Amino acid sequence: MADYGENVLPKHAIYKGPSSAAAVYIGLLVVSKLFRAVGLFLAYDVLKLVPVVLFMFVVKAGASVPLVLLQKPFTSGKKLSKNQWFRVSRHAFVGCLLGVLWMFGLSLCGPLRTILLYEHSDVIVIAWAGALFSGNSGSPAKMRGAVVFLIAVVTLLLFDHDEKLEQRSEQDSDHLHRNVLTHIFYHIINLVGWSDHKGGVVLLFLTLCLQVGYNSASKKLSVDVGGAKRLHALSTLIQAMILGPWAIIFSSGSEIQVSWLYLLFPLALFTLFVLIIDYYIEAVAANHIQPTKTAELGAYAMFGSALFLALTWNHPYTARITTMHKLQGIITEDHVLSWGVIFSLASFMLATKILTNPGGKTNRASFIGFSMEGQPVYSFTEEALKRTSQSILIHLKNALRQVLEDSDSRKIFYFLCINLAFTFVEMIYGVLTNSLGLISDGFHMLFDCSALVMGLYASVMSRWKATRVFSYGFDRVEVLSGFINGLFLMVIAIFVFSESLHRLTEPPEIDTNRLLAVSVGGLLVNMVGIFAFKGSHGHSHGGGHSHSGGGHSHSGHGHNTNMEGVFLHVLADTLSSVGVIISSLLIEHFGWNIADPICSLFIATMIFLSIIPLLKETSAILLLRTPGDIESCVNSAIQKILNLEGVTSYRDHHVWYHTSSKVLATLHLHVAHDASEQKIISQVGSIMKDAGIHSVTVQVEKEEYLQHLSGLGSTFDPNVFQHSHFELPHVIKAV
Amino acid sequence: MSACSTIPDLISSSVNLDLDKSGNYHDDSTCNSASQTMFPFVGAKKSVLQSFAHELSSILRLNETKKILIFLCLNMFGTGLLFVWCHDTNSMALTAYTYLTLFDIFSLLTCLLSIWVRLQRPSPAYSFGYERFEVLATFATTMLCQLGALFVIKESIERVIQQPEIHTGRLLIGVMFAFMLHMFLTYSVDNKALNHVIAASSSSWLQEHTTDISESLCHWIPGLSKLLLPRINPLALIAFCGGFTLTISHVLIDSKSYYTSDTVAAVSIAFMTIGTMFPMAVYTGKILLQTTPAHMLGQLDKVLREASTLDGVLEFREEHFWTLSFGSLAGSVQVRVRRDANEQLVLAHVYNRLANVVSTLTIQIFKDDWTRASSYSIMGGGSVFPSNYTYSGPPIVPARGPSPTQDLGFISPTGSPSKQVPLSGQGHGHSHGGQGHGHSHGGHGHSHGGHKSHW
Repeated sequence: MADYGENVLPKHAIYKGPSSAAAVYIGLLVVSKLFRAVGLFLAYDVLKLVPVVLFMFVVKAGASVPLVLLQKPFTSGKKLSKNQWFRVSRHAFVGCLLGVLWMFGLSLCGPLRTILLYEHSDVIVIAWAGALFSGNSGSPAKMRGAVVFLIAVVTLLLFDHDEKLEQRSEQDSDHLHRNVLTHIFYHIINLVGWSDHKGGVVLLFLTLCLQVGYNSASKKLSVDVGGAKRLHALSTLIQAMILGPWAIIFSSGSEIQVSWLYLLFPLALFTLFVLIIDYYIEAVAANHIQPTKTAELGAYAMFGSALFLALTWNHPYTARITTMHKLQGIITEDHVLSWGVIFSLASFMLATKILTNPGGKTNRASFIGFSMEGQPVYSFTEEALKRTSQSILIHLKNALRQVLEDSDSRKIFYFLCINLAFTFVEMIYGVLTNSLGLISDGFHMLFDCSALVMGLYASVMSRWKATRVFSYGFDRVEVLSGFINGLFLMVIAIFVFSESLHRLTEPPEIDTNRLLAVSVGGLLVNMVGIFAFKGSHGHSHGGGHSHSGGGHSHSGHGHNTNMEGVFLHVLADTLSSVGVIISSLLIEHFGWNIADPICSLFIATMIFLSIIPLLKETSAILLLRTPGDIESCVNSAIQKILNLEGVTSYRDHHVWYHTSSKVLATLHLHVAHDASEQKIISQVGSIMKDAGIHSVTVQVEKEEYLQHLSGLGSTFDPNVFQHSHFELPHVIKAV
Repeated sequence: MSACSTIPDLISSSVNLDLDKSGNYHDDSTCNSASQTMFPFVGAKKSVLQSFAHELSSILRLNETKKILIFLCLNMFGTGLLFVWCHDTNSMALTAYTYLTLFDIFSLLTCLLSIWVRLQRPSPAYSFGYERFEVLATFATTMLCQLGALFVIKESIERVIQQPEIHTGRLLIGVMFAFMLHMFLTYSVDNKALNHVIAASSSSWLQEHTTDISESLCHWIPGLSKLLLPRINPLALIAFCGGFTLTISHVLIDSKSYYTSDTVAAVSIAFMTIGTMFPMAVYTGKILLQTTPAHMLGQLDKVLREASTLDGVLEFREEHFWTLSFGSLAGSVQVRVRRDANEQLVLAHVYNRLANVVSTLTIQIFKDDWTRASSYSIMGGGSVFPSNYTYSGPPIVPARGPSPTQDLGFISPTGSPSKQVPLSGQGHGHSHGGQGHGHSHGGHGHSHGGHKSHW
């Protein structure tokens, strides 16, 4: 550590303290943290005998004496105004509430877990929250650290089997109900159904977050009052005063089994170690080493000593040293070390390391290297994160307005709402009646809604303005969304198919109870969808295509692939509801369990067959296929163009659907040297427009152009010229 | 690049209109079936199957194809075996992991497709060539993989409610087998399309974190940087991560009978799969959406800026440049030129500039008021072409653009001087000789607009 300091900081820096001094402070910090851990272990033992509030009162009162003596808050500094006094007492009130919660958590979880959960410095917690919630607060390392931190907490919550404790709490849980706070706590815990040690974990974690918020909120106050230490001294004194009456009330109710003499020593030690020495040394260390470094080292020291103490605390020698052997008879079973705790400790250490690491060089949108084709490759994160953040409310309002602007997206949105409402009713009913089938069906519906959400998004997105990157506009998104929806349905069909094949071999017993009602409800919802989308998804059900006539009749093709995808999805859902109704009727009345897989097979095939046209159409559009249905018109148009005055031949003609209704074209024309380019372009434009093409780009070339090109040839591939020179007039005008 | 894709175009478009007609029958049939939503497979099925068999036999002659087919059989067998084991063990995580080998099947099929594509020439139906098939196939592959992962997540949620028992008997063997199969196929098959997408798409979150970790690792052991930096193949990475997750869950189930770990592992593998596939799907999806690739924007800007300094060029409009297939751009642009500019010369110059970047290019030269310009004899070849249009407007408004005579001496950057333009009478604009150079686009455009309205 000392080396590190020396390397980074030159000797003549303003930053004071050579490496040896830093080492001294680090040593002090480590020792004070060890003492703090000892204090907390002591406190845990004491708390088994003394009520929390009484304990807090005693230690706060004990701490306030030396603090007041050292800081002299009343004599030094300027006098506080009334308002400041009010704020200080508010600060003290919140502080003592948090303190009581902390000690209560300690009594529930044991010292080791309390230290793991609670002894994080503000720096770390703020870095954690920043990485997790603001999203763009730095490198992926921070995010990773945040996730590791979260994993550690979750491990402590879920994977830490503190079996002995659970037994104990069951045995004497009624004896522990001692005051209002515990009453409320146990009530909530019972409602959720956790053991109190898990409740303690949650409580401590919340207290930690509150404590960090409290600390940062009190920064301004401490400046006003004249220093953090003065505030601390005053606040501690007021806390003791606040806690006093409560302590008397609570202690009158329960009598303490041992004499005060035995307890006095551990209480004094706790006051000294946790509330005074640690406070001062941390403040000093933060001044002399960087705050993040202090936080990191402090956390390591704390966790390390907690582990060490947890391993040795119940050893008879330790007990003798801490004079606890006199209380040994009363203190019962203790918390045990589990692998979950060890893992969590390691994760906390790792998270501390990552989160305190100065992740200065955030390489977002950094240049990574070249791909095989020599294209530069960039890492992502740039564009997505550069958008300015907006208020969520305004964002939602804008989005809703956009959605409701257009009839298509409006339809999808309303149907989505109906669907979601049905799903939630179903799930709530499932939870209330404790039916797994209903809940899982609800999840299934929710899953289906994702296709609707995608359709909605695509439908909104397709109306966005064209940008530099999306130079044709976003309307192609609808085609892509239709394609993805098609793939989605295909996957669903395949899954249903394989599942029903599986069931065909070993048909399971099906509980038709309530199935009928649910599927009828689903059918009704989906029928609404079908009637809503039937109009918009277009004319494909109608009397086929009438495009052979050419001319202007191409608008009939203009149905929306996105809406078609959504429609097919709804159709598939309807089919499956119908299938479920039929099969459940058959099972109920005839007992044919085999009906269910057969129905599913049938449904899967239907879904699969219905999706193929959509997939074909969308993939043809995405592949820039020449539109088949207007090909004859295009051909006749090209014939017309060839008949124009001056046009000799054409090449490179590309015609493609941009969306399912918009056709674009590009064309190269070779013309006689005396023709007028602009005239030809305008004539071609109008001919193509008649043929149903929305936009055409024409490159008009003359012999002169080829001469120019070959003159420029140095940078250009000569092959192209040769070819274009000799093979250019492919389609000789039929004169 | 440009030459490669232009030549086939030229050759193939010599296929004349008759051939177009013969292709028409097939197209119509698919299109009809495409528009009937419920009952497809009317006429197209047979021809599709037949043509498929025909195409398959055409590529079967290649050695490469045989190798891929053998791998495909191996993979299908392995995947089938894995699915049987998944069913035996009842493990969701293994199923999620097996989807990776399913992905490999699709990637092998993509490989076959790209071999087929290489043999194809652009046809009337697919005038841009068949390279886009690879893009679509890769997109579909990555999307299917993500959808499969989505299904895994859904099933896992159902399992959270009711956790079944997992049998660990075949679990570890299954994991090792799937890992070996996937790694073998990832590294033994040279799937050009997929490799391009992996190289060109942005990093997945998994890769980003790995890069970040390995960067700090390489501080300690510099030798590793060759292996770990700049970024690891995402498919290998997900194989490692998924295998690791599964092994942990196996240990947990074995030692503690902690069955939920299987579901947790399944969800995390599914998330990793989605994370890995998402950037690839975005990359290919953007190609399918006809967008300008972001990394080409700078280059295109530079070229266009250069081209806009050419003599006579006023502005570019309707610039559409988009990725046709992996590594080739197509585009069209309209160039607005001065009325007296030589269109063919400008066209040749602009084409020459852009053709280095954009392989399939169409440039439309655009003139304001060309009907009037035609009454002048301004053609570069010196020939005055007969025109039906005569100028009959009012006398020219004074607010015209820069004088044409000013530009006579203007040498275009390529060194070829602009042609001498004999002006016939009218003398408009001569009075504004003091306006300096001729490239003030904005001002020029506006004055034209004003003139039009007046006219």
